[in-house]
Amino acid sequence: MIVAELAAAELRRRLTGPGLRVRLGPVAAEIRSPFDVVASGLALLYAQHDVLADDDFADFRVAVEPPFGVRRFVAPQALFKFDGNTRFRPLPAAQAFPLLEWGLNWCITMHCHQYLMIHSAVLERHGRALLLPAPPGSGKSTLCAALVARGWRLLSDELALVELDGTRVVPMPRPISLKNRSIDTIARFWPDAAIGDVVPDTLKGSVAHVRPPADSVRRALEFALPAWVVLPHYENGAAMQLAALAKCDAFMRLVDSAFNYSVHGRAGFEALAALVDASDCYAFTYGGALDEAVATFDRFASP
Amino acid sequence: MNPDSSWRLVAPDALASRSWDDELVLYNDVTGDTHHLSVLGHAVMTMLASHPSGIDLAALVGGIADDAGTSADDELAAAVERTLAHLAELRLATPVSA
Repeated sequence: MIVAELAAAELRRRLTGPGLRVRLGPVAAEIRSPFDVVASGLALLYAQHDVLADDDFADFRVAVEPPFGVRRFVAPQALFKFDGNTRFRPLPAAQAFPLLEWGLNWCITMHCHQYLMIHSAVLERHGRALLLPAPPGSGKSTLCAALVARGWRLLSDELALVELDGTRVVPMPRPISLKNRSIDTIARFWPDAAIGDVVPDTLKGSVAHVRPPADSVRRALEFALPAWVVLPHYENGAAMQLAALAKCDAFMRLVDSAFNYSVHGRAGFEALAALVDASDCYAFTYGGALDEAVATFDRFASP
Repeated sequence: MNPDSSWRLVAPDALASRSWDDELVLYNDVTGDTHHLSVLGHAVMTMLASHPSGIDLAALVGGIADDAGTSADDELAAAVERTLAHLAELRLATPVSA
């Protein structure tokens, strides 16, 4: 069963009772929340994800709930809880769904050390993985959404999960997070995209999430082999440029982008080295012409 | 820097490395640090690795010059000295005690 097959009342029952258990690639999460925006966000953006039984194992037990006391009623807030303990500062209740997404990211990066985790979008064509490692503001998610819109399989918008031998990238398809102007940009570029509510005034500005395609979610257990590492850089109005990047430079950028490189010591080094060995590396500058950008990636990914 | 001094790697068994395009990245188990070394840094590390008991500066410069097909002039010697000082700061190379 997938989330879309749950009646609204049943989804609500699970969220306010035993928890909604969903599979997120290699892990499962149990989610509880009384907030309507969380229920509607899950119904739309996780529609294709598998629902697990109430007694199935969940790697992460999370909740997005109002605090006790007057803040339930006056300027209501939302708390993220992991295993019953509050994490992070409370946010306005209107930000409850983004808070869930950020909290799930935190759960994964803090606990999934069976992988080398890199802050990177990951997409796939013909079994080969394209990594787009980049800091916030580099246009990573916009480019990721544009590629997904034109048929690339989404492995992740945010986290590359690399097995410790460096030879396979593990999918975890979840909603693509867009910020500010990129929300309208993708809405125009991908008219059929299922985009959730725009949530204004977060720490990241306005944010909205895009539902991953059903095909990407269905194929969440299909690994991909590393093939390309491309460092994207968005610069308003800039001419598009794809330039070869020295592998040592790419390696050091990946070290900087990895969440848990130091946790793994030499094994982390070897995993990244194997990944770079297997990949062509580029720096990619683009100025907003998404069709042109996608065509560039399609060309070098053609079999 | 004493021109008569010899140099060796601090802990060769603690190093994991990968080379692409003649540059080098390496991981040091002792410090937990990852380094990116230039072509010259790579050449110095390679030469030191092949002389575990130490190699003096003149021989080091000569060996690097031979491998690169160039002359062991003062400019190269100065660059090698700077590289050795940098590698010492990174705790990768050390002068050999007399």
